[in-house]
Amino acid sequence: MPRANPPGGLCGIRPGVKLSIIMSSKYLDLNRRKRTTALILLSAVMIVLVFVCLFVGSSHMTLAECFDALFKKGSASQIRIIWNIRIPRVLAAVIAGAGLSVSGLIMQTDLNNPMASPSTLGVSNAAVFGANLSIIAFAGGFLSTGNNVNSYTVGADPFATSFMAFVFSALSVALVLGLCRLRSFQPGVVVLAGIAIGAVWTAATTILQFYATDVGLSAAVIWTFGDLGRATYRTDLIMAIVVIIGIAFFSVISWRFNALLSGDAAAKSMGIPVERLRAISMLLASLITAVCVSFLGIIGFVGIICPHVMKKILGQDHRLAIPASALSGSILLLLADTLSRSIGNGSALPVGAITSLLGAPFFVAVILGRRRSSL
Amino acid sequence: MSLEINDLRFRYSPKGPLVLNDIDMRLEDGEIGILLGRNGSGKTTLFKNIIGIEKPESGSMDFFEKDLLKMDRRERARLIAYVPQDIHFGELSVFDTVLAGRISYFGFRTGRKDEEAVERILLDMGLEDLAFRSVTDLSGGERQKIAIARALVQEPKLLVFDEPTGNLDIANEQLIIEEARKASREKGIGILISLHDLNQALALGDRFFFIKAGRIVKSGGRETFTEEMIKDVYGADVRIADVDGRKIVISSV
Repeated sequence: MPRANPPGGLCGIRPGVKLSIIMSSKYLDLNRRKRTTALILLSAVMIVLVFVCLFVGSSHMTLAECFDALFKKGSASQIRIIWNIRIPRVLAAVIAGAGLSVSGLIMQTDLNNPMASPSTLGVSNAAVFGANLSIIAFAGGFLSTGNNVNSYTVGADPFATSFMAFVFSALSVALVLGLCRLRSFQPGVVVLAGIAIGAVWTAATTILQFYATDVGLSAAVIWTFGDLGRATYRTDLIMAIVVIIGIAFFSVISWRFNALLSGDAAAKSMGIPVERLRAISMLLASLITAVCVSFLGIIGFVGIICPHVMKKILGQDHRLAIPASALSGSILLLLADTLSRSIGNGSALPVGAITSLLGAPFFVAVILGRRRSSL
Repeated sequence: MSLEINDLRFRYSPKGPLVLNDIDMRLEDGEIGILLGRNGSGKTTLFKNIIGIEKPESGSMDFFEKDLLKMDRRERARLIAYVPQDIHFGELSVFDTVLAGRISYFGFRTGRKDEEAVERILLDMGLEDLAFRSVTDLSGGERQKIAIARALVQEPKLLVFDEPTGNLDIANEQLIIEEARKASREKGIGILISLHDLNQALALGDRFFFIKAGRIVKSGGRETFTEEMIKDVYGADVRIADVDGRKIVISSV
């Protein structure tokens, strides 16, 4: 953030000169302007990508046709493509991208761990297990049980798998946070408990998959690929409610996260109820992740890449980092979705795979960057 | 009497050993109290109890005749501020880092009053040139000063320092000691500080508390500084000499 500012260089004040009362107001004005500029820029990029995402697809509609369809003109199929397929998809990218990114940011601050992400608490692993259980043991829904080919197309409740994924994610969060309560939510304990519980879900998934039929196994594996194509207006609405409430809440208490950056002891001495803050914000961040993952499958690395890039560029002030991470998460997911549909040659590649592909090199860059700076 | 602690007992787990045992302590308004003892004797634990990070098993703690144990977190933060041994900051500007210290006043949104309070402290401490820089770019001594500024902006009546000079060179050590003295003299803030350097302690303190295995074994003015007391508390042989009317502790080794 203000890293680039020379000492006293801002506002044209020379070092050594005693500043007047104007100091803070000038600084604050500049800070506010910087915040507004950054958010306007990110919003503009996001809006452009929303339209790119709306207008790019395998149906090869022209720009004019897309616009017509957007205003409910043109052929019925074109209107259906825009309104029933692309808009729910774009909304899912915007909502889930923002939710996953902010969840990652909050977890990193809460746990004082730059590599913390929704998977730290085993949320994603638990969702995979829940979905696998639903698909393999209940054939994708509760209306018919058994493991036969027909069950996947006949009588499957589309919400059953998401519901099971959510139940197990929530269970995992409750389990990890319950265990951590015993140790006053010490960040190290939360991370280790999350890794351990996550490993249990992965093992249980492997065992489940071992007994699955070929069809059941492929259906279960396909579910784990993050896919925005599953989104409907209904799922978007549910995700939006949770994500908006979560981000609004985190924004209101952004100064508490800033105080938490000073460490537990200092934050407590400033009057912050650190354990309560950590428990509530971890729970809410996990809930956001659980809802998104349950409806869309695993979309990796958004919760790590976006907050890191934003913190590197804009600093760690949560008043800015929260909205900036939300917008950058939406941007990344929109970008990944557009890419996945552009290079998929007619069929969309799983968006989770694209975000992971973008994430791996970033991880390496962060690790190398840290090594270099520590030498 | 600003701080009065009676029969304070503390243990980290219900079946664990007593870490603080029948602590009695008194510090007058604006006094500089120095806590002296070996590593692991309970100094940091006592501080954590005073600032409310840990809760004692029994005993009482009053601050200006108010029960600290029944006090709301935010109210306590406005009375007692803490400069921890290990200082961490996020990637915030110096101004925002210090502003975070006002959170017990503003709660959710900073106001003009908070910003002015930060400005005043930065000007008082001569830190105005650093105000717009990131705390990650600062030296150890500067970071220590920012931590003090953040504590002072809480407008406390007592400032608790946990071994503030541990990792600093002599110039920065003197700087921190001077800041503590200034806070006490100019703002009338009571100071409670733990130090390892006995000569530094003698130069700074009004009242001394010798702690050994979780007990205050002796407290009082400079007269408590005897070769026997230091031998008892630290297990170290020293000689105490008088140089220009000042007591000096000299190691016998």
